[in-house]
Amino acid sequence: MTISAKNTSHAAPAAGESPAIAPSASEPEGSVVLEGVTKKFGGATAVDNISLHVRPGEFLSLLGPSGCGKTTTLRMLAGFEEPTSGSIRISGQDVVGIPPHKRNVNTVFQAYALFPHMSVAENVAYGLRQKGTPKSEIRERVTESLDLVQMRSFADRKPTQLSGGQQQRIALARALINRPAVLLLDEPLGALDRQLREEMQIELKLLQSRLGITFIFVTHDQGEALSMSDRIAIMRSGRVEQLDDADSIYDNPASAYVAGFIGQQNFIPGTMTSNLSVMESPFGPIRAAAPHDDLGDGVEAQAAVRPEAVAVAAAAASDSSAATRENQIAGSVIGVSHQGETLQFLVSIGNDQTLLSRVPRPNAPRLVVGDSVLCTWDAASVRLFPSEQATQAQADIARALTNPAPPTSSISL
Amino acid sequence: MTTIAEKRAAPDSGRRATRPRPRWLKLPSFALAIPAWAWLFAFFVAPVALVVWFSFGYKPGIFGTHANDVLSFDRYAEALSPTFFSTFQNTLWVGVVGTLICLAISIPFAYWLAFKAPVARRGILLAMVMIPFWTNFLVRTIGWQIILAPGGVLSEAMQSIGLLNEPLEILYTRTAVLIGVVYNYLPLMILPMFVAFDRVSLPMREASKDLGAGRWSTFMNVTLPLAKPGIVVGILLVYIPLMGDYITATVLGGAKGNMAGQMVANQFQTAQNWALGSAMAVVLVLTILTTVAIAALVAWLAAWPLRRSQRLVLGDKS
Repeated sequence: MTISAKNTSHAAPAAGESPAIAPSASEPEGSVVLEGVTKKFGGATAVDNISLHVRPGEFLSLLGPSGCGKTTTLRMLAGFEEPTSGSIRISGQDVVGIPPHKRNVNTVFQAYALFPHMSVAENVAYGLRQKGTPKSEIRERVTESLDLVQMRSFADRKPTQLSGGQQQRIALARALINRPAVLLLDEPLGALDRQLREEMQIELKLLQSRLGITFIFVTHDQGEALSMSDRIAIMRSGRVEQLDDADSIYDNPASAYVAGFIGQQNFIPGTMTSNLSVMESPFGPIRAAAPHDDLGDGVEAQAAVRPEAVAVAAAAASDSSAATRENQIAGSVIGVSHQGETLQFLVSIGNDQTLLSRVPRPNAPRLVVGDSVLCTWDAASVRLFPSEQATQAQADIARALTNPAPPTSSISL
Repeated sequence: MTTIAEKRAAPDSGRRATRPRPRWLKLPSFALAIPAWAWLFAFFVAPVALVVWFSFGYKPGIFGTHANDVLSFDRYAEALSPTFFSTFQNTLWVGVVGTLICLAISIPFAYWLAFKAPVARRGILLAMVMIPFWTNFLVRTIGWQIILAPGGVLSEAMQSIGLLNEPLEILYTRTAVLIGVVYNYLPLMILPMFVAFDRVSLPMREASKDLGAGRWSTFMNVTLPLAKPGIVVGILLVYIPLMGDYITATVLGGAKGNMAGQMVANQFQTAQNWALGSAMAVVLVLTILTTVAIAALVAWLAAWPLRRSQRLVLGDKS
């Protein structure tokens, strides 16, 4: 599992809740509104009653495992698929039924889809030529667009003579030349190697804030989504599970699925007590900062704690006081691994249950496998979820990990 | 991927370094092509050279087939005399019109098969194109004789629905030959064209539409240029054998639908005049080469305005 390095600080309780976006009557240029959009392919529902409001000039990511409906959603915005029901508005205009070539959006395709029989400049000029732009203006704007992605000197080459990263930039320049209200990006960094991908992430974000164009970015890579997006829509089985900024999604996951999908979580099962912020687990009571709306007294629940919120300290082998205190579990170290700037401890706490703890290296205790330890954490970093939801979420996430998105390494030219 | 390839390659190259191949085993790489060259020389270059050589000779008497002791262009003059020249005209007409009809049928069909037909049924549809090929060429052509005969299926059907008042007189005409060659050669055009269209990937066409091109513009600017090699192959695969075909003309053409291939075969087999037959064969080959060259030139000139409007060279200024 990829672990996001972002925001390792302790979770702040529901403070950063973003305000709900009220759909305004006047939707400015660059806004995208989906209302009750459903897409069925035969009997299968790819997108299930999605409602989404994208603000103009926003960098929004659709994040989810393969088959969650994110690419179908993007293709409906581009016009390659029509929704089975629901409405889609771009810049306030209803686009359902409007063919792709008449929409003021452009797409950067997964494998770039550059035209192999045209030079780089001709590829970039394609959009302007379709509009019947005069040749002198085409020349000027193609130059400008290639400068934007620093590819001016490659103008007269063929796309096949370029590397993956260079093709990526050309695809970007080609999609931006018509100055679309919204740019759609379909896993555009998927085919690049790791280092290049990280460079392109920064460049993409810079480009977006410079141009002020709405970017809708589809990815299955949470690191990519967290590092670039203003807001992220976490998708699962054709629905939006949560739409929020990276901080809120990381600290205040709306569901057990979001909690487990983004970063890592320790899930501890138990039963709710009469105090609705406290859950009784086989390992002792666990207190959360706030109760969960659906959890009443005596209901099966699971508590989620992030590994970086769990502190470990050496303890005497039989510390009987541990079992009675809140948010404190005794166990023994069964694994220690270096993660560069952090040390990761895997602690067995009995009942086939383990806890993962991640501690910044300078402060990390010197522990070895077999040491008895005490794991403690703050009530503020605990989230409670209904047991059934949490179990289902963990199964779904495990499935997404064993069936990762299809490889996108092939570039068809 | 590359790392795996490198790891695999590493021990292999190491072995090669410790035990090099003996020098006498190393052949230049063109050795791979020697069997093909030998075959082509023995069964293509040499026979064609012989035919060209015979074409400058004459038929020495009733029982001789060819003689080359006196060389002249007389056989060419004979081959192009009005009697035979009309057959060449006829052949060219059937060849060009037949190829154009195949093209007019194949482009929409191959396009539909590659982009619009349900993917699950593609195999069956392709098989339906191929199945006639499993039957003997001659048998298939004789089948058309039954259909096109004055008392045949087509004639009867057209009379019964009132399109005709008398039996259809189409067999043993140029039209019958045309129908026959289109039927016989159509799959040779459809198959390469389908492969060519199929290789134009969906994202490529979607990218074009995304950038503001409609259906027609996408077809002209992206699909057609990318499928061009397959279309050219299809045209050549149909036009060249069609021009030399003599079975279709013999079975369906009769005296009015004569073609050059049949004429050449007659000179070699019936008239025993190898010299004249050779000259006719050379004229046929030259006709094919010239028309292909003219067609290529016309196509190149026709695409000139499109290329001009598309061309954009910025020049490397950085």
